[in-house]
Amino acid sequence: MTGGWRSLLRLIAVQGTWNYERMLGVGMGYAAEPLLKDLQTVDPVRHGEAVVRSTEFFNCNPNLAGLALGATVRAEYEAVPGAQIARLRTALCSPLGALGDQLFWAGLVPALVGAAVVGAVLGAGWWAIAGLLLLYNAVRIGTGVWALRTGFDAGMRIAGAISGSWIPRAVERIGPVAGFAVGTAIALSAGWYLEGFGWAGAAGALAVAATGAAVTRWFGPAFTTVRFALLAIGLLAFFRWVGL
Amino acid sequence: MAIVLCRVDDRLIHGQVVIGWGQPLGIDLIVLVDDQVAASSWEQDLYRMAVSPGIEVRFMTTAEASAQMGEWQANGRRALILTGDLDTMAALHAANPTIVHRINLGGVHHRPGRRERLPYLYLTDEELRQLVALEARGAEVTAQDLPTSPLVSLKALG
Repeated sequence: MTGGWRSLLRLIAVQGTWNYERMLGVGMGYAAEPLLKDLQTVDPVRHGEAVVRSTEFFNCNPNLAGLALGATVRAEYEAVPGAQIARLRTALCSPLGALGDQLFWAGLVPALVGAAVVGAVLGAGWWAIAGLLLLYNAVRIGTGVWALRTGFDAGMRIAGAISGSWIPRAVERIGPVAGFAVGTAIALSAGWYLEGFGWAGAAGALAVAATGAAVTRWFGPAFTTVRFALLAIGLLAFFRWVGL
Repeated sequence: MAIVLCRVDDRLIHGQVVIGWGQPLGIDLIVLVDDQVAASSWEQDLYRMAVSPGIEVRFMTTAEASAQMGEWQANGRRALILTGDLDTMAALHAANPTIVHRINLGGVHHRPGRRERLPYLYLTDEELRQLVALEARGAEVTAQDLPTSPLVSLKALG
């Protein structure tokens, strides 16, 4: 796979040109370019078409984008009809978005952040934060290398390669781990913050938490975390102002 | 009502559909109507992977879906009808105007000749005229990518 490492480096910045028109499209095209280089000598016309195709609209979780990149590049070398490659790209947005988001944004990230908070509260301090950054990026880069290789080996058989891989199993397991880590972190960090505030502080924190749970239940998805945090800050400022 | 949403989205099955609409509407069946996907098992395998275990996905041609729509409307399952293009949704409306009455434009993305109407909606002038004609035939066409974002009428898109 000539250009594999250059392509991998470029994949790290695949979201660099994110926009509504093409989403990851331009980033994918930039990352595909080193891999498609050999096609230029074999079939210059096809090479031009392939480069254009690789920049078209595309979206998925950035950490799994290598699967789509590898598979489509392989398909270009195997002279699969262009229309079919375009359909492959469209269809890959689905599982790579869904599985990748569950694995990373709803799984690994909260699991590691929760673990790091637990570590920090239990006395590991900055080492916990450093561990979080190191571990997360190691998994991310490792997954990137695996994804590009797996995609390139599979080509048009990518569906089987994904469903038979570790990804679906990891998605199943990471959710409960993330829930446990964040749950533990909330309890431990709440205790840590409230140390020294006594019963009044604990009661105040409990009131804020109960309000949060109630408004989330009543206002549903319209009441985002950010809006709740702004409301809580506003309320606290008001209480201070009236001298409570 | 058993068919709870008729959506046009060229990304077909993705997070906005499965989580964004699927959860608040309690969807348990997604019917993906696309003649090409209905004939391609590898594409179906990929789309199926994007759906959570509690939701069933069926892949159908326009003709099959038009014929079976009355049946889904009658049974108790909460279904979402999904097409990747305007033509397919227009054909479904023509076949069952009362069932496919409200049409949700959830995502039509950039292609040469299309102009940005909303960040998730790019349409050629011809496509916009097609949608106006669809409304003239009795459909109610609005754009909304997620339940939490504002509902945009067709008039506001021109």
